[in-house]
Amino acid sequence: MPQAYPLRPLVYTALFVALISVGAFIAIPIGPVPIVLQNMFVLLAGLILGPARGLACVAVYLLVGLAGLPVFAGGTSGIGKLFGPTGGYLLGYLPAVLVTGVISRTLGEKPSSDILAMIAGSVIVYAAGVPWLKIAFSLSWGKAVAAGMVPFLLGDILKIAAGVVIAGKIRPFVKI
Amino acid sequence: MNIFSFRSGNTALHCLDVRYKAVLVCMVSLALLKSGFAGCFVCFLVLFWLVYATGISFVHLVGQLKWFIVLLAVMFAVRSLTVPGTPAFGFWGIVVTREGMTQGALVSMRFFLVMMTGLLFSATTRPADLKSAAQWFLKPVPFVPEKRVAIMISLVLRFLPLILTQGRQVSDAVNARCGNLNKNPVRRIRYLVLPLLKKTFLAADSLCLAMDARCYSEDRTDPVFTTSGKEMVFLMSGLCLCLVMVFPAHLLSQITFWLELQFLVDPPINLLYSLKYNKYSLLL
Repeated sequence: MPQAYPLRPLVYTALFVALISVGAFIAIPIGPVPIVLQNMFVLLAGLILGPARGLACVAVYLLVGLAGLPVFAGGTSGIGKLFGPTGGYLLGYLPAVLVTGVISRTLGEKPSSDILAMIAGSVIVYAAGVPWLKIAFSLSWGKAVAAGMVPFLLGDILKIAAGVVIAGKIRPFVKI
Repeated sequence: MNIFSFRSGNTALHCLDVRYKAVLVCMVSLALLKSGFAGCFVCFLVLFWLVYATGISFVHLVGQLKWFIVLLAVMFAVRSLTVPGTPAFGFWGIVVTREGMTQGALVSMRFFLVMMTGLLFSATTRPADLKSAAQWFLKPVPFVPEKRVAIMISLVLRFLPLILTQGRQVSDAVNARCGNLNKNPVRRIRYLVLPLLKKTFLAADSLCLAMDARCYSEDRTDPVFTTSGKEMVFLMSGLCLCLVMVFPAHLLSQITFWLELQFLVDPPINLLYSLKYNKYSLLL
């Protein structure tokens, strides 16, 4: 008998791509980088789907944006956005979701490991985004950090707190 | 109509091969990165004409983008106030700089044009065509299961309007229970996101069952692309547009210099001579 096609993981991965895309629409632009709920869904994808499917989820999200659908922050899209001044944050989602998933799976699915995984993921996003922003705008390190990281730290703490609660509540629903 | 929806039509843009359309979006998006005010203005005129020719109401388009336009206005205001430079005017101790206003206007304009390009693309492209184009572009890439990615893209396009609708319903339900008066931001995120995720996961489960019941697999008929015959015209026009957007001042000065050289200094007969023997190149 032929093996059943693994539909459920595929559908859940696509669902997270859609959630990340919708999360990008809730944007508060301060300085050159807008605050969005998008990164919370990216890190949640790592926590709930695991590293491999989370990575696939972010890769498909970037591909959909690259193809021209308005799914990046503020309803933008295209290769110019992906390799533009804020492209480092978008490309940083790839290693971030991978590391979040690996930490969550290695340390076990509990709140403390979720917090650690989300913090690590957020740090990776900034580690990719801030130097990219610095180079794109020819800023000093101080200015790049002040414009591309400091204004969003409070929002990130709130998103991590909400994300850990949401991940704990959602896991029982997700049967991969 | 929402930002992701397709509007049926029979215009040249609707009939254009989706692969060429995707390449054009990439080209314009890249050109916008390097364009100044003149380039952005040219791009706006072209996009405005395309929106008009496609039959999309510009008022409706602005209505769809109203919140983004508010965000762009905020972005402009933040830039005007934070970028140091020559003071333009001030009130209550707040100084608005000329450089800040210039930078803010340029960044907001670029954002708006990228949004318009994306919206025009999604309004004139069937979701199935987009899926087919992604599959076609990924086919030569090794280690990428292009059929699986194509199925995921079609599922994403199925989920996007569903999530937007359910998000609006959850938000209305939260507001009806005075949830919007809650001062705790973590609780507000939780009250919005948790029910939304539960609803969407249940919808995803139903979709899985329906697909399973129909023996859905990735072994499906390969996509067939329909071409309108105007693809190369659009591609060349897009290339010219990008060049004009990136080098408007340079191109203008070159053309003016060349014309002056031909008509003012040399007699007109020399123009024919120079064209024949390529005496003066446009890229002097």
